[in-house]
Amino acid sequence: MLPNPILLELFKHRFASIAEEMGVTLTRTSFSPNIKERRDCSCAVFDQQGDMIAQAAHIPVHLGSMPLSVKSAIESTVFSEGDMVILNDPYKGGTHLPDITLVAPVFVRDDSPSFYIANRAHHADVGGISSGSMPLSSSIYQEGLIIPPLKLVDRGNIDRKVMDFFLSNVRTPTEREGDFAAQIMANTTGVRRMKQLIDKFGFETVFFYSRSLMDYAERIMRKTIKSIPDGLYRFEDVMDDDGFSSEHIPLSLMLEINNENAVLDFSQSAPQVSGCINAVYAITLSAVLYTSRCLVTEDIPANAGCLRPISITTEKGSIVDARFPAAVAGGNVETSQRIVDLVLGALSQALPGSIPAASQGTMNNVAIGGLDHRTGKPFAYYETIAGGMGATAGHHGESAVHSHMTNTLNTPVEALEYTCPFLVKEYSVRRGSGGRGRSNGGDGVVREIQLLSDAEVTVLSERRTHAPYGLFGGSHGQPGKNSVIKNGVTKHKPGKFNMTLYKGDHLRIETPGGGGFGEKD
Amino acid sequence: MQSSHIIIGVDTGGTFTDFVFKDNNGWGVHKVLSTPHNPSKAVIKGLRMLAAGTPKQVVHGSTVATNAILERKGVKTALIANKGFEDVIEIGRQNRSRLYDLAYKKTPCIVPYSLRFGITGRILYSGMVLEELDPAELQRVVNSVHETGAESVAVCLLFSYTNPCHEKHLGELLSKLNMSVSLSHEILAEFREFERTSTTVINAYVSPIMKKYLDGMQTEFSPQDILRIMQSNGGSISASTAMNESARTILSGPAGGVIGAYEIGKIAGFTNLITLDMGGTSTDVSLILQKPSLTLESTISEYPLKLPMIDIHTVGAGGGSIARIDTGGSLQVGPKSAGADPGPICYGKGNQITVTDAHLYLGRLIAEHFLGGAMSLQYTRLDSFFELMSKKLGLTSVELAEGILDVANTCMERAIRVISVERGHDPRDFSLFAFGGAGGMHAAFLAHLLNIPRVIIPQNPGILSAIGMLLADIIKDYSRTVMLDALQTESSDLDKYVKELENKAISELASEGINHDKITFEHGLDMRYKGQSFEILVPYRYDFIESFHALHEQTYGHRNNSMPVEIVGTRLRAIGTVEKPAVKRQKAGGRHAPDEAVLGEKDTFFEGKNRRTKIIKRDHLLSGNQLTGPAVIVEYSGTIVMPPFASAVVDEFGNIVMEIT
Repeated sequence: MLPNPILLELFKHRFASIAEEMGVTLTRTSFSPNIKERRDCSCAVFDQQGDMIAQAAHIPVHLGSMPLSVKSAIESTVFSEGDMVILNDPYKGGTHLPDITLVAPVFVRDDSPSFYIANRAHHADVGGISSGSMPLSSSIYQEGLIIPPLKLVDRGNIDRKVMDFFLSNVRTPTEREGDFAAQIMANTTGVRRMKQLIDKFGFETVFFYSRSLMDYAERIMRKTIKSIPDGLYRFEDVMDDDGFSSEHIPLSLMLEINNENAVLDFSQSAPQVSGCINAVYAITLSAVLYTSRCLVTEDIPANAGCLRPISITTEKGSIVDARFPAAVAGGNVETSQRIVDLVLGALSQALPGSIPAASQGTMNNVAIGGLDHRTGKPFAYYETIAGGMGATAGHHGESAVHSHMTNTLNTPVEALEYTCPFLVKEYSVRRGSGGRGRSNGGDGVVREIQLLSDAEVTVLSERRTHAPYGLFGGSHGQPGKNSVIKNGVTKHKPGKFNMTLYKGDHLRIETPGGGGFGEKD
Repeated sequence: MQSSHIIIGVDTGGTFTDFVFKDNNGWGVHKVLSTPHNPSKAVIKGLRMLAAGTPKQVVHGSTVATNAILERKGVKTALIANKGFEDVIEIGRQNRSRLYDLAYKKTPCIVPYSLRFGITGRILYSGMVLEELDPAELQRVVNSVHETGAESVAVCLLFSYTNPCHEKHLGELLSKLNMSVSLSHEILAEFREFERTSTTVINAYVSPIMKKYLDGMQTEFSPQDILRIMQSNGGSISASTAMNESARTILSGPAGGVIGAYEIGKIAGFTNLITLDMGGTSTDVSLILQKPSLTLESTISEYPLKLPMIDIHTVGAGGGSIARIDTGGSLQVGPKSAGADPGPICYGKGNQITVTDAHLYLGRLIAEHFLGGAMSLQYTRLDSFFELMSKKLGLTSVELAEGILDVANTCMERAIRVISVERGHDPRDFSLFAFGGAGGMHAAFLAHLLNIPRVIIPQNPGILSAIGMLLADIIKDYSRTVMLDALQTESSDLDKYVKELENKAISELASEGINHDKITFEHGLDMRYKGQSFEILVPYRYDFIESFHALHEQTYGHRNNSMPVEIVGTRLRAIGTVEKPAVKRQKAGGRHAPDEAVLGEKDTFFEGKNRRTKIIKRDHLLSGNQLTGPAVIVEYSGTIVMPPFASAVVDEFGNIVMEIT
């Protein structure tokens, strides 16, 4: 049977609308700003094998990794109606520990589920050695609580033992419980909508079009790959360091385009490192999917079909496919960006006109925690800072914006100074930091905060020693710069550091500019 | 009312400038071809025609400010901010609106870098002055601003909503120059510096344009005439206020339509409505639950505009939306539109199939009655195009035509779900109120998809916006960020802020000609759990903390009585009630439509089947007439399709009320 082109389009809308409605429920009912306002979450619909049918993604880094989590939940669970399984283990399809996935089955007529519904949200704390669970760690055990697939909801009832065990291990249990309630509600919405869809159109039709939509995405992805000239394209880039040694860490990609297929071989990349920037395989997969999705001009669903023409090779135990118990907190936020730089760098040789130079290539993670002198109570703050985007053949790169694998919002100065003992001294565009060229790279950002109470500061950033690359004669973007100002004296700090700052000290972060494109005539 | 007094609603939104008026002889409608380069020409022409020498009261919905933003034709505008924060307007919230766009560009800032100026002087969140202004530097900056030749200046300083002293000081210095000044604490006294700056800058950018436009119309108004301007919050304001606060008029046209639906629905006995305004390129939907819903999250050209506005959701599907086969073999409809030129295939020039072409192909548009027969549609041009595309898709031409409408309906269904289901409302509890040229052709099908039991199509659905303007009250919204711990806040503490806002409202409405006793106040508090970054609007009553918990549970599904609650801000909506003209009643008739209303029958396709379908002329229908589907009802400004699953009755106000089974 061939899919009807009209029903194909209608089902595309119908599945997408289920994922979107889950997303609205999740962001609307969640408690923490991280999910509600920064929208660090994703929702998706899966078939009985755990292949993704549709996803409402706010954060690209969740793209490829959700299906792996769902598959490992399916493998280890005998589901009953009303169950929901929780997990965050990066070595079972997760990304890093704060990203917690919740999986629910949709039963239609058989003893086993016909579809699955899942959502993932970044929780502001999951225990571990530092507040916010994004430490400069050397083992995953320091990063927080590892949750293997477990039933959080058993036949419609929350398992208090599982919940209480989790809540006892985190710093902000009330907020966590509120966010779990939202995740449960989002899945409940998804299951209900999926059942309505099946009631209305019948299981056979819904199932048929879930497969047809994967074939559809595959067709478009194959056409997209076919439009790239065949060949072998090699690209290399580095991570500055792992926060423990100052050695740079090389990453390497051999991209082979063969008619409608793409093979990405990352196996020449460095072995995993002591610091926290190891990426598990799911992250590499997400970065590849994100980049492929950027090449597609049609509005296609992000589903399992997109990946069929793409194969990825990695070396187990490497920086792009870490082995337990490597530390991974920063792989999700930093290394994911470099993998995108690698894929785009290789593609730029195949498609010289349409691929941009490197964007800032970091998320500039800043965590500050301490005791607020105004209230006597502890405070914790986490932010990521935008930077420059890489230039393209036709356009200057955009300035002061999040690029590639993240898209989270900033906190307004007028909200920040109210909730934390900070005085923001500067928040501006870092003029001239973009690489020069026929088109210029976008400029980075300057963010300077004066502390009004003593506090512990952790900075996890990249592209401080190795600049975002320019292309075809365009110059590199300026690397980022981290400094601490005490009594008017500025001291430079490395890309990754942890220290106590005292009342009156300033933390100044200057984020990288994007690379330039083409020689300036 | 004087014997020779006329009230007029004017909407300049479309191809025609619509006039709806009521004088002693009753209601009337008038249309003048719009003059887009200078919209006031058409307005003046119509006013002279309708009200030469007669005292008049005019409510005008103007697109001047909206278009100034969309076309970036506002005045040269400068911005003064704190030193080190001049780029807040450029950085925004640091996110991008398109995730997978490798060459992503933001809409360029209204104020370029060279027109942004920083000053020393800093106020803290508490309102305390940390650093004083530097008078010498201030004078230098003011001179520099003047030298740029900017016509308008926006001032937005951190925490000015708690202590506006620095902004006020700058305002005084700047007022000595011959330029328009917008101070952020006056435009929007709320926290979040980017959104406040953006709103203030938009206001600065468009206000001088609006002033020129309204000044140009002054000759038409004698001192006893009244001119009011429609706002996006669903109320009107005086022309003189609109000149200084023009940001409040942006997107007011669609708001007029929603107010029209609300007022006419109320008279007809329907207070819970989903409105559907379908035009050529897009469709606007909104939800009315006893009253129109408001939002504070609006944007225009991606710039935040954080003033209270009627919550309207737009989707890129309209009559002109183009159908195409994508590279994966799926049928897409929109968001690209054939527009007015070349327009749909059946208009004679286009060569891409549109939604309108699909209607005509299926027999649901009646060629000889389109726009009262003023424009002939070319049915015969369609065949070859439908044949070609349907062959590519492996469908029959009828399947393709119905499929195009199904895809368009699914886009609109999603838009309606966004404003209803996703906000906790069940569409079954609403009636679908359809207007705009094409609304009546899709409404029954959409209602069917969403289990909405009823569709209402008003008289003159093409000019509802002008009717809404004529019926709108005078509304002014006020707000102030306060940041208080709710448990330690007594009503008496809040009353201080409330009184402050009320006094402001009373004096401002007095200058609009509204007496104290004609004003209704709606008080609200923006509240949240401490630590949240999202507020909900709670009506201000003695038990506001409990109201907050309850509303939080209703909106978000959970509450937490032990968690500290914050009052982020206070809000006031001051409504000056205006006298509303009585709506025209339709002459009564019997159950059966009069013979002259039935123009004939023709073959029309529904679900692939050919059905004999009555063609009915709406102008001849009488109150009480009953109709059963399938039928096509034609009138000058639109067409209504009644599928086989619909039946309808004409109510006493001439509305067609369709029941969907």
